[in-house]
Amino acid sequence: MGLLTNLRDSISRVTDGLFAADEPKRIGIYGPPNAGKTTLANRIARDWTGDAVGPESHIPHETRRARRKENVEIERNGRKVTIDIVDTPGVTTKVDYKEFLDHDMEKDDAVRRSREATEGVAEAMHWLREDVDGVIYVLDSTTDPFTQVNTMLIGIIESQDLPALILANKTDLPGSDVQQIANAFPQHETIPLSALEGDNMDEVYTKIAEYFG
Amino acid sequence: MPHQCTSCGRTFPDGSKEMLSGCPDCGGNKFQFKPAGATDNHADEVGQPSGSAPDSPDSAADASGAAAEPSDRTTPTGDQAAPTPDEGSVDRRPADSADATPSDQVESASSDAAASADSPTEADGTEQIADRSDEDTAQASARSEVVSPDELDRASRDVDPAETPPAEEEPQPGIDALRDELNDQFESIRIVSPGQYELNLMELYDRQEYIISLQEDGRYVIEMPDAWGIQDE
Repeated sequence: MGLLTNLRDSISRVTDGLFAADEPKRIGIYGPPNAGKTTLANRIARDWTGDAVGPESHIPHETRRARRKENVEIERNGRKVTIDIVDTPGVTTKVDYKEFLDHDMEKDDAVRRSREATEGVAEAMHWLREDVDGVIYVLDSTTDPFTQVNTMLIGIIESQDLPALILANKTDLPGSDVQQIANAFPQHETIPLSALEGDNMDEVYTKIAEYFG
Repeated sequence: MPHQCTSCGRTFPDGSKEMLSGCPDCGGNKFQFKPAGATDNHADEVGQPSGSAPDSPDSAADASGAAAEPSDRTTPTGDQAAPTPDEGSVDRRPADSADATPSDQVESASSDAAASADSPTEADGTEQIADRSDEDTAQASARSEVVSPDELDRASRDVDPAETPPAEEEPQPGIDALRDELNDQFESIRIVSPGQYELNLMELYDRQEYIISLQEDGRYVIEMPDAWGIQDE
């Protein structure tokens, strides 16, 4: 499976290079666990294709394998942008099965989920290096953005010269603080949104077209 | 008499094929391996089953002769099932009470050893038996620790959570060492314990290969970019 994926990906990378203007850009949705990446991916996919990308959940690490939605056409101001959305597992430096035990999970299931989540992070990091043309970085605006993971990932994205859009998600929640995120990454534009409620998605799509078109 | 049936006590020379489908006399499928040098010291402690050969110097000599006779080969692989004389007698002791609660591992290790004894590419066995007294502890340990088919099987398939052994509660010997060794080699993921991981994101990002499957016992499978590159090109 991995071999075929690799082969396909390397072929598509070559063709990407040859037909850069025509091929859709592959946009990775990155961020820490439970930031709302899958909710956003589903929102984008539903708005423009009618399909969903994957199941959403309050339990961290629901997404443990990168999922892709291809050929999502976004129209903005008469201009059409085609992207492939890659919803990635939440990136973290520690995975502990004990955090799943609070979610009514048996230990065996929690340990397995933990293992799969770790594999997912490894895969997401690999994709970041090899397979994405741009990044939508999703943060939960109710939590402190000054973390090792965020700093490191944003640093990697910048070092790759990848176009990056920072989204301050969960603005529908009471503790949301968009400014804190804007302060943490002043070199980037921060767009507030609630992927769950669909708030401010217009601006998100405009920025996606602008950054990745 | 390197191999002895633990049920009826019949002995077989090293490299014998007779025992491959079980003891021809009693049908038993557990055998203990007794290097020639072991008989003098340990026959008494082990407690020979009825009908076994006496532990006289003659029998040791016979054993060497018998081992050399059928062919010139004895088997390092076959020897794996038989650790140093000391360990041999301890390890195989459960076999004396063969019907009580025979361990699968002993059983399979023995039959493996028997099967591999057939392998034609081995060195001279007589010499090996003679040298065994010089064997150091590392060699002895390597000989005794045969990976059981059960373990191989478990490592090669997806882990069924229902069967997953609670490794945390019952640490198997060597697992911790293995984990440490892996952690030293691959610092991208530190396995603190089953289900608990620490990830070095920079390492993961920098590595060309990536981890595709973590195993229950702390091992993991990685995909090497070179491996498929060579195959495909």
